[in-house]
Amino acid sequence: MYKTRNLTKSCLNTALASALALLTSHVFSFEAPLDGVDSDRIDWGVMMDLSGPTSASQGIWVNGFQDHMRKVNETGGVYGRKINVLTEDSRFNAATDKVNFEKLLTQTPVLGISGLGTSGAQVALAPAIKSGKVPIVATYTTTKALSEPVSPMVYGGFCGYKQMAKTGIGYFADKLKLKAPKVMTVHIESAGGVEYAEMVNETVTKLGGTARSVSMKVTAADVTPQVLEILAFKPDFVTVYGVSNTSILTAKVMHQYGLKTPIFGISYLGAPQIFTALGPDAGANYFFVSCFTPGGSDASPGNKTLVEFADKYNHSAIKEDINYVAGWVAAQIVTEALLKTGKEPTRAKLVEAMNKGFSVDTKGLSAPIVFTKDDHTGPSILKTFNYDYASKKFKPFGDYADYMKYLK
Amino acid sequence: MLAQVLFSGLALGSIYGLVALGFTVVFKATEVFNFAQGMLVVCGAFFAVTAISLLGLPFGLSLVFIVVAAATLGILIHRVLIQPLSGQSMLSVIMLTIALSIVMRAVIEITFGPQGRTLATPLPTGVFLLGELRISQLHLVAALVSWFCMGLFGAFFKFTPIGLLMRATADNHEAALVCGVNVNLMNRLAWAIGAVLAAVGGLFLGQLQLASNDLESIGLLALPAVVIGGMQSIPGAIIGGLLVGLIEQLSASYISPKASDIFIYILLILILLIRPWGLFGQKELGRV
Repeated sequence: MYKTRNLTKSCLNTALASALALLTSHVFSFEAPLDGVDSDRIDWGVMMDLSGPTSASQGIWVNGFQDHMRKVNETGGVYGRKINVLTEDSRFNAATDKVNFEKLLTQTPVLGISGLGTSGAQVALAPAIKSGKVPIVATYTTTKALSEPVSPMVYGGFCGYKQMAKTGIGYFADKLKLKAPKVMTVHIESAGGVEYAEMVNETVTKLGGTARSVSMKVTAADVTPQVLEILAFKPDFVTVYGVSNTSILTAKVMHQYGLKTPIFGISYLGAPQIFTALGPDAGANYFFVSCFTPGGSDASPGNKTLVEFADKYNHSAIKEDINYVAGWVAAQIVTEALLKTGKEPTRAKLVEAMNKGFSVDTKGLSAPIVFTKDDHTGPSILKTFNYDYASKKFKPFGDYADYMKYLK
Repeated sequence: MLAQVLFSGLALGSIYGLVALGFTVVFKATEVFNFAQGMLVVCGAFFAVTAISLLGLPFGLSLVFIVVAAATLGILIHRVLIQPLSGQSMLSVIMLTIALSIVMRAVIEITFGPQGRTLATPLPTGVFLLGELRISQLHLVAALVSWFCMGLFGAFFKFTPIGLLMRATADNHEAALVCGVNVNLMNRLAWAIGAVLAAVGGLFLGQLQLASNDLESIGLLALPAVVIGGMQSIPGAIIGGLLVGLIEQLSASYISPKASDIFIYILLILILLIRPWGLFGQKELGRV
């Protein structure tokens, strides 16, 4: 009996000691701060496709974002706190993004999230985001589900398809002095492509013109049928929605048919390799509209800084890519929002500060970006670009201010 | 318009036929349904990028580089992966080729980055007119080269001693072994030829658009071509490729681009139901 009592006492002591050890270890173990703000750092989340079908563009956006944050950290961060970018790979899968969102919300909590490049994830997470858990600042793409109605939790970071359509159509209608333009949209078979074609149709109809659209497969190897439709319709200009391949095939085959009809692509199709693939003959008729100025294409202070740091961080090869500039500008938006929030940020304070309205001067990388209480669109003024094969640089047409009229 | 669509369908179909031929050669020799054939097309495009853009080789030397690199890859795949699995179930080998294609895709992305690469070759990009028909010089060259390759390998299999040995091995492994043929060497050669044919297809497809992993799905159109034409038939693979190219262009022109998938795969289903050995394949008869 004596032995049994001793054994029980010994077990109890062991259990008590273990519990105490567990508790103390928890106190001294690494704890993620609640809102992602620590004494010397701010954790900021990025959710983008790094290894899936859109990683070619989204990965570059992430590079631009990270590079700007590195630059900010080199000068001491924001109010003495360095920005620690936690990047989660969505693989362009909404389910994966949901898991990533929960992780950034609670497990490795962040002050805010940028990117959210999977439109399916935006639709799925819109209720959770809008319910006030963590703000989304500078999205890569924006869906109606997330952007309408305006929410204090969501702030755009890329021009919308509507603005792209309006700017491109307005510009070419003016340039070609057209009263009732005829426009053909070539788009990939996706919901976004159909939506874009509808926006083009709407814009062209308002100008008294006519629009038609033709679709192609994302992985098409030839677009002769589509170009034959363009030949039959005889549009004044063509607009393209899709991936790099969409632009390359359309422009190349049109060129083969001797068509010199101008073509403009959406912002995501402003990649240098598209122009390289087209060559100077076909490329002379290819343009794109963008709310961001490609790196190296002008001498604005913002552009010079971007080029300097892209070279410094071994990203010279992608500094001209619109996605890189977009990521850089997105990080500028985040930095400005953090500065507005003050020295002791929390999620609530960040949301409050942004919702009051703020502006971001990108010093020439885009038009001034203004967020108001009722407008969280973000970059919305675009201009047209082409490519100068002699200097191997992008060539802008006019200033951003010249294009504001097309958005009214 | 019909003549134009037919020409582009035949030109594209020639490239599919080339890739399908590579697939058939591999299947005939080793009875492996190679799901990595699409990625071999991508490898071909990136071998071209390596030779032309990165190493700066003259075009002639680049072609030699592409052929040697593709052949080496084919041999390696057989030696390291396929040969050890000989005797195993077909499912295991199929799973291996699927896994291989995933690995190859990831390796290419890590090595070259996710964005597509431009191929700057001296291949002609102009067009010449034949009445109202506009003939893309690149399409014409692609079709002519594809037919040349098909003719060359056809002659190789028919008239050369090694070709005869490969055919004998494909017909009956055991008999070939008994006759002293190095069956593994013949199989490796088949894989080398299959990879080279895919690589040539990749060179042209990469020149038509961009060298990127997206070419895999175009390369995989060789699979229905092979099934329709006959999995063990070399002429069948070529005709199957041409048919797929024509169906793709005709349905895209007169119905919609998405309709091409419907027609191609409905034809594949019908062939499997009615004539599973394909249009030009031979019905297999077994003695019980």
